Amino acid sequence: MKAEDFITQIKNGKIDVVEHTKKVIEECKKINKEYNYFNVICEKEAIEQAKKVKKDPSGKLAGLPVSVKDCICVKGVDSTAGSRILKGYKPTFDATVIERVKKEGGIIIGKTSQDEFGFGGFSVNVGIDYKIPLNPFDKKRACGGSSGGSGGITQKVDFPHVSLGESTGGSIVNPASFCGVIGLCPTYGRVSRHGLLDYGNSLDKIGPMAKNIEDVALVMEVIAGKDENESTCLDEPVDDYSKQANIDISGMKIGIIKEGFRKGTDKEIEKKIKEKTKELEKAGAEVDEISLKTSIDYGLPTYYMIGTSEASTNLARYCGMRYGKHEKLEGSFNDYFKKVRSRNLGKEVKRRIMLGTFARMAGYRDAYYLKAAKIRTKIIEEYKKAFKKYDILICPTVPILPPNFDDIKKLSVVQNYMIDVLTVGPNLAGLPHMNVPIGFEKDGAGVELPVGMMLIADHLDENSLIRLGSALLK
Amino acid sequence: MTKKFTTDIVIGLEIHAELATDTKLFCGCKTYGDDNPNSRTCEVCLGMPGSKPVLNKKAVDYALRLCLALGCKISPELIFSRKSYFYPDMAKNYQISQYEIPLGIKGKLKLHTGKTVGITRVHMEEDPAALIHPSGMTKSKYVLVDYNRSGDPLAEIVTEPDLESPEEARLFMKQLITILNYLGIFDVNRCIIKADANISIKETNYTRVEIKNITGFKEIERALKYEVERQKQEVKSVVQETRAWDSDVGITRSMRKKEVEEEYGYIIDPDLVKTEVTKGMIEEIKKDMPELAQQKVKKYIKEFNISEEDARVIAAERLLAEMFEKVAEEVDPNLAAKWLRRELVRVLNYNKKEMKDLALDEKYIIELLKMVEDNEITDNVAQKILEKLIEKPFSPRDYVRKIGAKKIADEKQIRRFCEEAIKENPQAVEDYKAGEKKSLQFLIGQVMRKTKGQADPAVVNKIMKELIE
Repeated sequence: MKAEDFITQIKNGKIDVVEHTKKVIEECKKINKEYNYFNVICEKEAIEQAKKVKKDPSGKLAGLPVSVKDCICVKGVDSTAGSRILKGYKPTFDATVIERVKKEGGIIIGKTSQDEFGFGGFSVNVGIDYKIPLNPFDKKRACGGSSGGSGGITQKVDFPHVSLGESTGGSIVNPASFCGVIGLCPTYGRVSRHGLLDYGNSLDKIGPMAKNIEDVALVMEVIAGKDENESTCLDEPVDDYSKQANIDISGMKIGIIKEGFRKGTDKEIEKKIKEKTKELEKAGAEVDEISLKTSIDYGLPTYYMIGTSEASTNLARYCGMRYGKHEKLEGSFNDYFKKVRSRNLGKEVKRRIMLGTFARMAGYRDAYYLKAAKIRTKIIEEYKKAFKKYDILICPTVPILPPNFDDIKKLSVVQNYMIDVLTVGPNLAGLPHMNVPIGFEKDGAGVELPVGMMLIADHLDENSLIRLGSALLK
Repeated sequence: MTKKFTTDIVIGLEIHAELATDTKLFCGCKTYGDDNPNSRTCEVCLGMPGSKPVLNKKAVDYALRLCLALGCKISPELIFSRKSYFYPDMAKNYQISQYEIPLGIKGKLKLHTGKTVGITRVHMEEDPAALIHPSGMTKSKYVLVDYNRSGDPLAEIVTEPDLESPEEARLFMKQLITILNYLGIFDVNRCIIKADANISIKETNYTRVEIKNITGFKEIERALKYEVERQKQEVKSVVQETRAWDSDVGITRSMRKKEVEEEYGYIIDPDLVKTEVTKGMIEEIKKDMPELAQQKVKKYIKEFNISEEDARVIAAERLLAEMFEKVAEEVDPNLAAKWLRRELVRVLNYNKKEMKDLALDEKYIIELLKMVEDNEITDNVAQKILEKLIEKPFSPRDYVRKIGAKKIADEKQIRRFCEEAIKENPQAVEDYKAGEKKSLQFLIGQVMRKTKGQADPAVVNKIMKELIE
């Protein structure tokens, strides 16, 4: 059932929102035992909200269950970004997106599992004591990341549901692809980051993940728009995204990114993308090939320099002083901070803090941090030039089918980072992009797994994403 | 070292002045008011995860005024950076500051002595929290953190190493405070001004020592005087280091030896957008800028023809200067200068009051001084009225009329008082005749007392001399 139809039934009383919410929570608990999609299921708060909605079901999202990536602050609910260092941290305020969802009658059901602080592409880099979410199609495989729990739960449940994910370098579209759902990462600044536990502030974006594109559009309308509490949030009117679904796509100009099909991209994925592209042509779209060499060749190192530089400053505040995990007070403040951080941050977090700290040190910052900022400008220019000619750029979201955990373990650090090769470009450029599940392919082991296509649009043109996405899903 | 030094002492200052905005630099918390620890805080100034800074435009306006007053070149964009280091007073373990592109560069401040001190840069940053040592810096077993101050807006002013003595450093600080006051961006009663000083002397081949944490302009001179003496006495053991000023004991103490520059790993703060500093913005602020003390001194000398010293003392205090300008329009500027600079300031000091505490309307001062100017009352009476005037405002003319305190210049009348005084104090007359000149003043004093200060002292003097000589 589409969210819209469900909400109508809540409003006219055909569905009892409290009973429904209780069922949803039970279902989530059951799934979670098997798949680890939630770090917290907030039963009490969800039922309280359901009772409020029952009294006043006028909101645009009345009764809709919404799960939230753990790095987004929900007042009074553990918000840890999947890290032990924040164990027990209950924010005193709601993130702006949460405030807006709640105001429209949406029901926050829980905090979804993720790579610790968003540092990963498979959701295997979870914090100490946290559990790895398992792929809904094959429990031996990864959900993708870093919004892995959001991707998994979105695929697994049958009730109407939207998840709020967060992307820094591809963390919405990647797990959406691996889990076979839609994931929309909006233009940088389209959705407020107020209340988001930062990874890379110049890259972070919150966006919806769902099974229906109309649901994605609906939630976008609620969460997007100006926020006085967040300086980078854009003061631009919010479009009626819902109206874009089911519009004719004839005349749309689509560029296929050539570098998306290099060595390293699975043949099955290439085949599926090409098939779908032909269908788009049949529907009247003009399809053409485009090269984005700067973005694909330099995107990864640029992203890792900027992302880790920012992250290493953001994570400095976690030192066991006022919130989160504490340790026994001993020695100087330096000894104490070191102890808290050494014991409670995971291995990948430490790696990225060290990388980022190095990249911004005097003597190195010119060669790394500042140079990366310059290349980022070049990448933006490359995309801007492309959008003079095209409405949408397409390529595979990830070059491979969801891998199994044993294979991931064998990857080197750099191979691990390679999973982001196609997604970091639009993330660096702050461009809206979306994963659309376009079908299934068998991998070498004969398991049917979802394939995702990534659509990239120009700044603030989420409309084109919805429009083409809905055509692809028909 | 980039500059070749030649003077005996080389001093450069880094001054942190708190800007007098109502709210903090990146959140809506008040910068003053409730002083209960941690009462003026929110997610932003506590650095809670997920909170985001939003720039206080007023603080930018204030900092721009300062840049303009110091003749700085102003950056076309306002960009903030993160200065990272771990310390318990840091809410986020980084401070939002400015690095590559400060708001203002290449300014100058001209001292009264005629010397020009170069201003390297002026930038904005947030104040860290306050660390409270319950039983003193060295004895406390633990430290408390008060975040009320966390996020207060600061302007950092960095000078060139142009200062040559502790006295000059003091003068610089004093003049800077005057400017801050004039601009209306600093409140002496609640804003803190602190300095770090770099100081080196010829004898050590200019080995640079940094002194941290000096509060106020008097302390600057004290701290630097101490440090110059210390360096002279310990020439051989002076090393490049950072020292802390302990004002209670009056000494500097070594904090850390500094072989290399500190590492702050600056990056642009990605939570804040670049703010354009447009020509329009600068013009708007310029229009609104008050005339500064140094401009006033020049004007007073030229237009009012008063002494440079009087001009400087009056101009140093904005409210006093404002009053002077109004009064000097109505009465002789020299008389006005004398009365405001000497008498009013004396009366204020005596009563431990400041200009801003006065509910005094300048029209009463004008009335009072007009009577002095027209010889209607004596200085003595005028002083007494002035003392009353700072308590509560009233019309001096009405007062004089009511109590009959007009000046007595009538010679006959005065002669009668003089004769009385001579009769009552024969010993004084004898003493005077025996060569004790002071006795004349005593006799004149008696007459003034009898006339409640209303007699014209010049006339009394003349008649008394006639009578006893």
